[in-house]
Amino acid sequence: MTPIDLYDFRDGFKQDGTLICFAGPFSHSIIEELGNAVRRYLETEQVAKASLMDVFSVFIEQTQNVRNYAARKAAEGDAAADYNDAIVVIGKAGDRYVIRSGNLVAQADVGTLAAHLDKLRALDAAALRQLYKEQMRRPLAPGQHSAGLGLIDMSRKAAQPLDYNLRPVSDHCSFFSLRALV
Amino acid sequence: MENLNLARSKSTPEVAFDAAAGIMAMTGESYPENSFEYYRPLLVWLQQYLPTASVPLTFNFNLSYLNTGSTKSVMDILDLLEDAYEGGKVVQVNWYYDAENDRALSNAEEFREEVRVPFRILPLSGR
Repeated sequence: MTPIDLYDFRDGFKQDGTLICFAGPFSHSIIEELGNAVRRYLETEQVAKASLMDVFSVFIEQTQNVRNYAARKAAEGDAAADYNDAIVVIGKAGDRYVIRSGNLVAQADVGTLAAHLDKLRALDAAALRQLYKEQMRRPLAPGQHSAGLGLIDMSRKAAQPLDYNLRPVSDHCSFFSLRALV
Repeated sequence: MENLNLARSKSTPEVAFDAAAGIMAMTGESYPENSFEYYRPLLVWLQQYLPTASVPLTFNFNLSYLNTGSTKSVMDILDLLEDAYEGGKVVQVNWYYDAENDRALSNAEEFREEVRVPFRILPLSGR
């Protein structure tokens, strides 16, 4: 039997500067609660209002992107993976904050996602603003779950281009890891 | 026309649309799980009300946080207000923002750039 000692496990988080980590099925109420916890923590740290809201906002966009993607896959009848089972990690890196999320993405969607992120990574602030405005004005397709603005918005708030990784984990899926430094 | 009133929740604002007074207000934060579903009844109400309104119209936005889905829906509301304005109604948009958050001011300005309806940006302090 494994000894009940979580010290090293907890220490790993501390070493990484992790403030909050949640792994499991995302629900709207969990997103709300974690978001509030993050905000309360940052308030006690005397973080400037704009930075606090940037961290919160990137957290909301990352977690709601997972929920929206899972809803889209469910609507498409894709039950090959639990797309809602994901991870989000908020941590401190020097005087900045790092918000990371990880979730499964169907192989069929990997190319589009990578191309979108590569495009965003190459854009400067003015081009991101322009793209955001264009996307905000694009009419929604019927049944569309998302405005398609989340990654653009995160890119605008991040201090450097979004980092990501796509790792094949089965014939059907890759694990998508996303990192934003705010 | 009946008023539209919705209570505030953790992730949705208080909504108070008063048909007789011509005053509409949204107060709080907006990041519902499905923003399009949340905003649909608001847009339907405005689509019905605005063309028939016979009083000057004021829309007070007091939203301290919007997720991207809500941003898109607020843009839809502003478009409806602009249609009313261009159709000859008297329309005033008041956008209140947190003066301690410099990002909130640029968000407000980005909305204002998108429309031609009279749009005042007003600071709030000590929220």
